[in-house]
Amino acid sequence: MPTVEVRDLSKRFGRVEAVKNLSFDVEAGRVTGFLGPNGAGKSTTLRALLGLIHPTAGTATFSGKRYEELEHPSATVGAVLEDAAFHPGRSARNHLRVLVATGQHPAARVEQVLLAVGLTEAADRRVKGYSMGMKQRLGIAAALLGDPEVLLLDEPTNGLDPPGIAWMRGMVREQAAQGRAVLISSHLLAEVAQSVDDVIVIANGELRAIGTLETVLGGEDGPATEVTAEDPDALATALKAAGATVTREGDKLVVPGLTPGQVGQIAAKAQLTVLGLAPRARSLEQAFMALTADRKP
Amino acid sequence: MKALLQAELLKLRTTRTFIALVGSAVGLSLVLLVLNTLLTDEFDEESVRFTFAGDFTGLFILLLGAMGMAGEWRHRTITSTVLAAPDRLKLLVAKTLSYAVAGIVVSFVVTAMLMLVGTIILSSRGLTTLPFSDLLDIMWRNLVVSAYLGAFGVCVGAIVRNQVVAIVGLLLYSFAVEFTLFGLAPDVAKYTPINGAPSGIVDVSFDEGETDFLDPGVAALVMFGWVTVLFAAGALLLRRRDLT
Repeated sequence: MPTVEVRDLSKRFGRVEAVKNLSFDVEAGRVTGFLGPNGAGKSTTLRALLGLIHPTAGTATFSGKRYEELEHPSATVGAVLEDAAFHPGRSARNHLRVLVATGQHPAARVEQVLLAVGLTEAADRRVKGYSMGMKQRLGIAAALLGDPEVLLLDEPTNGLDPPGIAWMRGMVREQAAQGRAVLISSHLLAEVAQSVDDVIVIANGELRAIGTLETVLGGEDGPATEVTAEDPDALATALKAAGATVTREGDKLVVPGLTPGQVGQIAAKAQLTVLGLAPRARSLEQAFMALTADRKP
Repeated sequence: MKALLQAELLKLRTTRTFIALVGSAVGLSLVLLVLNTLLTDEFDEESVRFTFAGDFTGLFILLLGAMGMAGEWRHRTITSTVLAAPDRLKLLVAKTLSYAVAGIVVSFVVTAMLMLVGTIILSSRGLTTLPFSDLLDIMWRNLVVSAYLGAFGVCVGAIVRNQVVAIVGLLLYSFAVEFTLFGLAPDVAKYTPINGAPSGIVDVSFDEGETDFLDPGVAALVMFGWVTVLFAAGALLLRRRDLT
């Protein structure tokens, strides 16, 4: 059974349809990237999962239960939302103590999570003196308090410096390796590409792509190969004779629909010398732009 | 519920606002008491009762309750609060109870200080003091009113999410609307939530006996009614609101 289940979820704010009929699952032990441009509906979906907003239609559940139906919500789901806010006059340690009291977690968890996110020394300072990165770390500490089975992270790298981003990547991989389901939203594919196993891409509140990172980056147009040959004209003729479509980019031939292996076999059969052979991957940005581009109804 | 109550009380204790408001309540109450007991030469039992009932906790805990609830929106902490306690009705119950408890504790401290300092000054001047039974009678009345006003403030904060509007609105309503009403229609004003009904509990007159306040039992029922209505409205809004 998937850990996170979103089924036909829709949410309308007045005349704006923020999320339209969205369905997806998130599995335990994997990091799933939840991607889309700003205003795509990512935060609305996460808030619906957390019971913070009421869906217009559909369901968003954890192993079949709505967040508010969970017996120990903060021990099941840990969340860091984009606008994680704290009382500016309260210290980080006191903020966590309040959450420990509410969630009935062991008091020792406060020091453990402060240590885990590197905030022990700053824990008694009032939060209003914190940098954005420190607030982000405090938000993560709060999410980890209940040692939850699921982590929902909304734009968690916002405000983090490069070492902080690297720490975040390591942290989410570690959490997934321990068997947790991690759903991490971002509007920047490049920021999460190194840490995710699966991706869910949405735009304008609609699902655009779902699957492993490789599948989604491959796109709908399948594999493609770039090849350079000693005699490119002869190779182009041989490839066309084999039924392939060939386009020329300078010295390079681009063969959509065939893998490098298939192109190599055709060249060998025609006894032509190949100088270079490589799969053509769409760049992260190209894939993301193509998937999230506006579509006419 | 016990965990939620503990968490809300911890929230209260861990900000400077609480300390500042409690300090203000203690300071203001003591300054007025000292001035009154030192500068007035004639005291009967009624005027001593009035002096010891001059506990400003009610006003401060009323404002603190409204700030505590509306502040969840101002500081956008309502999201983490609801994530930790997804049952919004229980959350509001806990917050309402915690401010009622805070009202009782602070009022106890302030009233006890007033009684101690006031009795020392009055005795040293050879003026009238009150027997212990009268002091106890004043104490429980002050505690009930402070508990009620703390709960009332939270309910107002649950309805009026803007902290500034909630505070200014409460002050204007309390000092302008209710006092004007006492001048124009005292029979209606004695049912009002901040000065009217609670005066029936405190059982001392701030207008030199011009208004015939409610009996304590009736006053308690009226106050319960006010809190119930406001709580129901606040809970309804809190449950229906999307936290975006």
